[in-house]
Amino acid sequence: MSSTVPLVVNFEGDFVLQLVPVESDFTMDQVAEAAAHHSLNRRVKPQPDRTLRVRIQDAGGPVERATTVEAAGFQVMETIEVYYE
Amino acid sequence: MALLNRSDWYDIARDTNWTPDYVTEDELFPPQMSDAFGLPREDWASYDEPYKTTFREYVKVQREKDSGAYSVKAALGRMKFYEQADPGWLSILKSHYGAIACQEYQAGMAEARMARFGKASGMRNMATFGLLDETRHGQIQLFFPHEYVNKDRQFDWAHKAMHTNDWAAIAARHMFADMMNTRDAVSVAIMLTFAFETGFTNMQFLGLAADAAEAGDITFSNLISSIQTDEARHAQIGAPALKLLIEKGKKEEAQKKVDIAFWRSWRLFTVLTGPMMDYYTPLEKREKSFKEFMEEWIVGQFERNMLDLGLDKPWYWDIFLEELNDTHHGMHMGVWYWRPTVWWNPAAGVSDAERNWLEEKYPGWNDSWGQCWDVITENVRNGREDLTLPETLPIVCNMTNLPIVGAPGKRWGFKDFHHDYKGRRYHFGSEVDRWIFEQEPDRYAGHLSLIDRFVAGHIQPPTIAGALQYMGLGEGESGVDAHNFAWAYNYEKPQKKAG
Repeated sequence: MSSTVPLVVNFEGDFVLQLVPVESDFTMDQVAEAAAHHSLNRRVKPQPDRTLRVRIQDAGGPVERATTVEAAGFQVMETIEVYYE
Repeated sequence: MALLNRSDWYDIARDTNWTPDYVTEDELFPPQMSDAFGLPREDWASYDEPYKTTFREYVKVQREKDSGAYSVKAALGRMKFYEQADPGWLSILKSHYGAIACQEYQAGMAEARMARFGKASGMRNMATFGLLDETRHGQIQLFFPHEYVNKDRQFDWAHKAMHTNDWAAIAARHMFADMMNTRDAVSVAIMLTFAFETGFTNMQFLGLAADAAEAGDITFSNLISSIQTDEARHAQIGAPALKLLIEKGKKEEAQKKVDIAFWRSWRLFTVLTGPMMDYYTPLEKREKSFKEFMEEWIVGQFERNMLDLGLDKPWYWDIFLEELNDTHHGMHMGVWYWRPTVWWNPAAGVSDAERNWLEEKYPGWNDSWGQCWDVITENVRNGREDLTLPETLPIVCNMTNLPIVGAPGKRWGFKDFHHDYKGRRYHFGSEVDRWIFEQEPDRYAGHLSLIDRFVAGHIQPPTIAGALQYMGLGEGESGVDAHNFAWAYNYEKPQKKAG
């Protein structure tokens, strides 16, 4: 059974960290989509031809797109960056 | 009988020290209330306040000041300033009174702490007058906005704000309580009076007074200038205390407290004063940019004050100078975007002409902050007000309780300065905020930010509407765009109404 995991999201091109709740069985693509809802077309122009990726702040690379929040080991209020590949 | 000159009797009269027989020195002056630096009472005998006044002189001068401020208010009361004022200017008044008025009473309690627990008689004497000053500031800044309450409920927040859980009120309470109400008398002297009052009240009470005069708000200009004359006097309590602490080998500890108070003041001013000066004040009435005022009053004058006393510049001075370019732009955008959460109507201040001014004052503004405003402006023009309103909350800093912001657009790359302590993760808006926490973690660790409360389920329902209710914002109180989006059409009548 999935559980809700609130995350701290820093979206590329935006100016503020935001609270974004996701489900523990969300894939990284779903996390990116949930994050985008609060930034894209609000304060950040979309870039339709590019793919959004997710990484933990200060980590080297992105988490695989199909990996779930639970499998990635995201903690409650983990700070993630959502950015265009 | 002829009066003696003040200098003939002042020193003797103010030194009402006595030697306690029935209690110990520490019982009379408990260190946690009196002097965390631990200087013996004899050392404090050499404290020499630079400004000396007597009760007779004080009352005479204060009466004249009050007569002046109240007379100007009475004389101009019939001029219908409220009806004619720019909505952005009215927002300045509302945010100022809500953030400041009741905190003046708290400042009075801080002065009272120095008046009772200061070991130096000169400090006690000056702080007694400081207590009277702050009482005056609380009363006058509640009385002046009161005449507008029947026109606009948001003015009621002059008194209401500090009694709510509104995020801005939490931020102000956390910061002021840290430097004014939870420290010993000597720390209050250097944190409140030296770091905050000599540094920052000039910005709010003189810088803003200049803009107020330009904007035709003579009553407010006169009021806050009058307040600043008191600040200029009682702010001098801190410098002789610092001089003494440095002489007695306490420079490092004193420096740290000044550094903490200076940074906390700076951050609060980025949300309070920065947007007022660079966005809310009508363009043609702006005397200087926020950054220019900061450079004059803080970078120039306060830096010199610190060095003259024998202190160093704070270790983070380069970070501070860098922040002058950006942080308040982020606070402004956050306040505007989350406008239902404040008790004033934020003025966007980003018409074409205003953007040109911002670009001139802050080169690169268009490539960064302007990029976000481009999207917002387009949404307004396309009638999509819904996209200019939040569906979640910003993350706030566990030190400042203000949103964690950074330069967007082409310069995006800011970060969360988080820190784990006793199993809990704390989020900070800057390296300096995290450093302050690390100096004394148990002092701050128990506090829950608005976001912590939201995540912990204290705010129900867990929605924006639930958060507004938690913050005490009712009908007619929540902020809306000050100019009904006219800025998106360069202040012409909107062609197509948003929403």
